[in-house]
Amino acid sequence: MTGRPASRAAIIAAIVRKDFKEFSRDRLYVFLSALMLVFFIGIFWVVPSTVDESIVIGIYQTGIDELGMLLQQEGDESGGLELVPLASEEDLKGVIAGDLEAYRTVGGDIVTRDEEAGDEKPKDAERVRVAIGIAFPEGFAGPAASGVGTAVTVYSDADVPPEIQGAMKSLVRELAFSIAGHPLPVELPAADTVILGQDRAGNQVAMRDRMRPLFVFFVLMMETFALASLISSEVMTRTVLAVLVTPAKLGDVLAAKTIFGTLLALSQALILLVAVGALTAQNWSVLIVAALIGALMFTAIGMMVGAAGKDFIGTIFYAMLFVLPLAIPAFAVFFPGTASAWIRVIPSYGLIQTITGVSSYSEGWADVWPHVATTLAWVVVLYMAGLFVLKRKVESL
Amino acid sequence: MTAPAMTAPAIQVEGLTYAYGSQVAVRGVSFEVQPGEILGFLGPNGAGKSTTIKVLTGQLTPKAGVARILGRDVTLDDSEIQAQIGVCFEEKNLYLSMSGKENLDFYASLFGIKDFDAMAVLRRVGLAERANDRVSSYSKGMRQRMMISRSFINRPKVLFLDEPTDGLDPVSSAAIRKTIREEADRGAAVLLTTHDMFEADELSDRVAFINEGEIVALDTSENLKLKYGKRSIKVRLRDGDRVREEVLELGDPEAGARMAVAVASPDLLTIHTEEATLEAIFIQLTGRGLA
Repeated sequence: MTGRPASRAAIIAAIVRKDFKEFSRDRLYVFLSALMLVFFIGIFWVVPSTVDESIVIGIYQTGIDELGMLLQQEGDESGGLELVPLASEEDLKGVIAGDLEAYRTVGGDIVTRDEEAGDEKPKDAERVRVAIGIAFPEGFAGPAASGVGTAVTVYSDADVPPEIQGAMKSLVRELAFSIAGHPLPVELPAADTVILGQDRAGNQVAMRDRMRPLFVFFVLMMETFALASLISSEVMTRTVLAVLVTPAKLGDVLAAKTIFGTLLALSQALILLVAVGALTAQNWSVLIVAALIGALMFTAIGMMVGAAGKDFIGTIFYAMLFVLPLAIPAFAVFFPGTASAWIRVIPSYGLIQTITGVSSYSEGWADVWPHVATTLAWVVVLYMAGLFVLKRKVESL
Repeated sequence: MTAPAMTAPAIQVEGLTYAYGSQVAVRGVSFEVQPGEILGFLGPNGAGKSTTIKVLTGQLTPKAGVARILGRDVTLDDSEIQAQIGVCFEEKNLYLSMSGKENLDFYASLFGIKDFDAMAVLRRVGLAERANDRVSSYSKGMRQRMMISRSFINRPKVLFLDEPTDGLDPVSSAAIRKTIREEADRGAAVLLTTHDMFEADELSDRVAFINEGEIVALDTSENLKLKYGKRSIKVRLRDGDRVREEVLELGDPEAGARMAVAVASPDLLTIHTEEATLEAIFIQLTGRGLA
């Protein structure tokens, strides 16, 4: 019955088709794959696309017009301060503590409402949320101008970072100096701050854009589980041995698993990138290469996990050993500043940086190639390890 | 069930040795299987039967000795050999989420078989009606029949069958044995491992007893019985209210006359040959049973 023996390509294609058929019948992983896509795409479009860069400060001050002017001037210069004048220190405390609600009317006045007391919600007014505020004491200007010490209270919600609280204290001291007629002994250049690199003031990366690499990571991770489960099943039921007593070689099986795992992960990642609007005419080539490298990385991990895992729980356990460290660079994107040295040596760091740079900061090949090259080197290492582990496992059956 | 005329052996094994670490599983085994011959590999669990098959099918590399399939060294990882063999594993390693037909179609594509008729193969083992059902829904016996059918798909010149009727009911076992015999009649050399002495006796042209990795006897079933069994006849006669047994040694010059008397006697109940079973011979040779 055997005519011409099947070519290596035909054998590999047959195994890949079989793998897709098996995957399509694994309801759990098909469901989880679809769910992850829908979930992440949904989350992306729900998360706000803009960043509110202004800091809202509640102010209580009485009879100090000069102070009011100075505060307004400070706000205008900083460009990011929104002042909310409140009628009393109690109102200021209540609004920050959340006991009262503050609203700005069409005319710009601030009114407060005590919901528990049954106050009506003001019409045509916009809710203003205040997390930090300054209460100036009665007659602040006099002692400040004469250099006599006076107490100013900064009220802050527990969630406000210490840096903002510190900035408020500095603002108070600066105002006191101004009122006293003593300019600060600091000369600043014409531009208050020299921005090195791209000045993103007024154009901050929105939360959802920061989430893109994380979503890509999770989608790739999901397909790691799917591939690992498939391999684990093939090893445990020894179906792979039945394949290896045909003209198919171990190399064919490994090649097929590589193609299947990479296609599966890549297709999911690309669907996600398209759905969240990450692919553009300028960046598509970089993103597709990044997704491909990422898919290969997770395929390699899937091979190792699949060789080690004996059942669903075992597969999840071993996958987590790899996935949790690899997820760190994806979460690090949420924190401003340069990543620590140890994060930069995690294999997924370059991948995350590439996706972040390209999709959030409009970077191109010239900017991200070092990250791409580093990730590619890691992929080679991981892939070799994956091949070695899976090969040894099959040979030991 | 006579051994076919000698031609170039389809399976040729000389001094084959394999060890799992320090545990020697197969020790200097030598045998040949001719095209169209069924060699029964008879031995208890752990005797080295499956390890021998694994070496011959390229799953394990021998530590010593030579094994050739159709004249080609099995250690050469030769696709030409794999294209000519069929293997029925002891474990039922089928793709459970795929149907019986899909399983066979997949393996046929690995062999490069064009216009493969999976239904014809499934019909041979009585699974045509369940062809499109997932294997996960098959009974143990049906899965075993699937395993057998899978080993036939490339019309192999050499068949390795590891416990092929394990778990089958007597009717299914008989059907599978008939199919295996048909494969041998077609010209396939069959290496059949089993610990079922009845199966080995019924199917095999020759039988090899393997124990602790070594072949302790290799011959036709008939010769083994003649060599190790008693050449005698047991005659049972009615003797009043009792039954009297008389053993007639075939080499005894008086046996013929005593036999004639017994046959003519109205008290004759039964006559049985005292032929040894394969299991009895195995125990005699190894001091252990086949289970």
